[in-house]
Amino acid sequence: MTVYVCEDSFDGILCGVYDAWMSRKGHDHVRLEIGGTGDMELFCEYAPVPVLPEKTEKVISSIRRKISERVYKKVYTASLSQEPGRADIIYRFLIDGFRYGEGVLSMLHLPSVFELFRLCRFVLNESHLLKEFARFSRTEEGLLVSRIGPKNDVLPMLALHFADRLPSENWMIYDENRERAVLHPADGEWFLVRANDREWMMGLDWKTDEEEYQAMWKMFCQTIAIPERKNYVCQRNHLPLRYRPYMTEFQG
Amino acid sequence: MLIQENLSVQEKLKILTDAAKYDVACTSSGVSRGGKNGYMGNAEASGICHSFSADGRCISLLKILYTNQCIYDCKYCINRCSNDVVRTSFTPDEVCKLTMEFYQRNYIEGLFLSSGILYSADYTMDQIFQTLWKLRRELRFNGYIHVKAIPGADPALIEQVGYLADRMSVNLELPTAEGLRNLAPGKTRDKILKPMRQIQRGIAKQMEQEGILLPEQGKGHRMISTGEAEGKLPSDGSGLPSFGGDGTVPNDRSRVQSLSGERRPAPVRWGVAEEKAGYSTGPKLRLGRSRYGTYGISRVSGKRDYFVPAGQSTQMIVGATPENDFQMLTVAEALYRNFGMKRVFYSAYVSVNEDSALPILPGGPPLLREHRLYQADWLMRYYGFDAGELLSERQPNFNLFLDPKCDWALRHLGQFPVEVNRAGYETLLRVPGMGVKSVGRIVTARKTGVLTFADLKKMGVVLKRAQYFITCSGKLMNPVRIDQDYITSQLLGDERRKAWDIQHKDSYRQLSLFDDMHLEGAGIDLPS
Ligand code: SF4
Repeated sequence: MTVYVCEDSFDGILCGVYDAWMSRKGHDHVRLEIGGTGDMELFCEYAPVPVLPEKTEKVISSIRRKISERVYKKVYTASLSQEPGRADIIYRFLIDGFRYGEGVLSMLHLPSVFELFRLCRFVLNESHLLKEFARFSRTEEGLLVSRIGPKNDVLPMLALHFADRLPSENWMIYDENRERAVLHPADGEWFLVRANDREWMMGLDWKTDEEEYQAMWKMFCQTIAIPERKNYVCQRNHLPLRYRPYMTEFQG
Repeated sequence: MLIQENLSVQEKLKILTDAAKYDVACTSSGVSRGGKNGYMGNAEASGICHSFSADGRCISLLKILYTNQCIYDCKYCINRCSNDVVRTSFTPDEVCKLTMEFYQRNYIEGLFLSSGILYSADYTMDQIFQTLWKLRRELRFNGYIHVKAIPGADPALIEQVGYLADRMSVNLELPTAEGLRNLAPGKTRDKILKPMRQIQRGIAKQMEQEGILLPEQGKGHRMISTGEAEGKLPSDGSGLPSFGGDGTVPNDRSRVQSLSGERRPAPVRWGVAEEKAGYSTGPKLRLGRSRYGTYGISRVSGKRDYFVPAGQSTQMIVGATPENDFQMLTVAEALYRNFGMKRVFYSAYVSVNEDSALPILPGGPPLLREHRLYQADWLMRYYGFDAGELLSERQPNFNLFLDPKCDWALRHLGQFPVEVNRAGYETLLRVPGMGVKSVGRIVTARKTGVLTFADLKKMGVVLKRAQYFITCSGKLMNPVRIDQDYITSQLLGDERRKAWDIQHKDSYRQLSLFDDMHLEGAGIDLPS
């Protein structure tokens, strides 16, 4: 068994797919792993996967041409998952994808398809919840700042959503778990930055002048509830506790 | 009336939120609109909730009254003029500022503006118009707006507002004309139906201009001209069943057939063998779509104004007047069929006023009844049931211990079990334990393989319920008796506990009656 150890990124996983496939060792004799996620096993050979843009490009273009655009999107979505086994799940899915073509998307009874969909579901669920629950506060400089702590790497999906929604505002969303942020200049294109980039991360420390609106929002949320119908279990089912530390209306 | 001057915006917000909370419509769904530079906001077809309040209801829009002053005295309403409460009013600027500031912080999807009647219907509608105009035109707000049409207001004003809003609603509040007479002295059914009809016509006209097919009863979709559309609609006063003196016998001739389904077997030709012939008197069902069609543009470009693109909704209060569930449901069905409603909301009556004309509800608001009505509403729109199949004059109220679908299935055991690998989707939708999503998955997956019970489980079928009603390759999951009493007792254990929870405990999920509660609008992820 050869284990291809990929870098933790979409490109990294695709390069792993390329190396494993091209090794011609047979799909049963290879496995993909994200670096640092598994224990070393006896009788396995570990092959580090260098990230090379040509390889990434080749894999992407064959997925898009030989399978379909929808499949490509699914694979990208799955790559954002936090699941340790995601690289191998994507590999297994692509094996079936190249065998059956676009139709693979309706073959839910295949374990590879079922697994990939499971990852996508986690990612899409969390990114959907954060579209709902992310909160911005406005700094005196006029920057809207949001902090999130997602399990999956949903930042790119949130960036797309808010870029369409707030195109003419300056805003930033910071993922505390990955220490990365997406920045969006008013009427411009968004981009990702890392926490060690001081110049961009400054916005996080800016003071926000929020007391007025935060207080009104909290009061609104309390007042809109009908006391005769109070139902905290229902509230918790819809709004999991782990999101609340980031939400204005549940603070203080 | 105690009108408070010089209140701060915070204080006004508190009063006017408190006064708005009994309107249960909270969705921001029905229209998808992309963002554009220089504007703030967009809209997603399936709507977005932003928080959940302590009663478990979704908070999606800034739901406020423009003013809680009112010249009317509706007995069930906290804002009625005979109540001694602090009165205040926003200004258009205040509403706009709050909306913009809340929106950019991602607190809300937009604004839901309702109002008491200040001075006159026209004056109130005009204030609402001013507010919306400012918000859309001056501040370039591109998010969601739901607004009330005030009965009695000048149609020209209503039309202008319709071009700025996404959704409009006029609340029917009470299902019968008699109920309205007793509890809402300033309102009549005609007065309420008039703006509803106007909005429906406006939407139909807009759809025609866009070349979108208008739903036509019983015949699927086809193009019709506006003149024709208007000609086809019943005149303002009709279109809703009216109920005779004893409160049960409908005297609207067009409804008699389906209402009397119990006595004269209704043309319900449903079953595996007769599938192709159709099964119900209503319009045709397409998987994942409301069978009453989509009244509204739904997908809009940012370049033009559209009239009420997210469609029209309304609300009925449950339990303030003696109407039974069958009457409520029949009225809801007529609202869908004849008034092109996108949604009918049901609001369990909360007693806010003491009045001899109102019931005293020692057990609290009738939440379980409300829950059953929502379930039935879903069954009518997405599962192909007619009101007359779910209830009848002989059985005018829902079974509190069984959901309406189980209840129906148990009364029609002769049509079960059905074979999962062959039955049409319309048939599968009627199986307890199967939802729109799981049926969609089944229909797709069985094209490439023969399905087993284990596969069904993976696809989200609740086998605990479905097992009595289906076979896979001719076999039942367990050797059980197809016997009404036996199956009822099996299903009851589960349901009884749930029903009890809804009325007594803090544990029911109002918005998740089915697995597909969020599929309203176009954003449905179904395998094609
Ligand atoms: S018209 Fe009736 S329901 Fe509406 S605010 Fe006035 S009293 Fe309340």
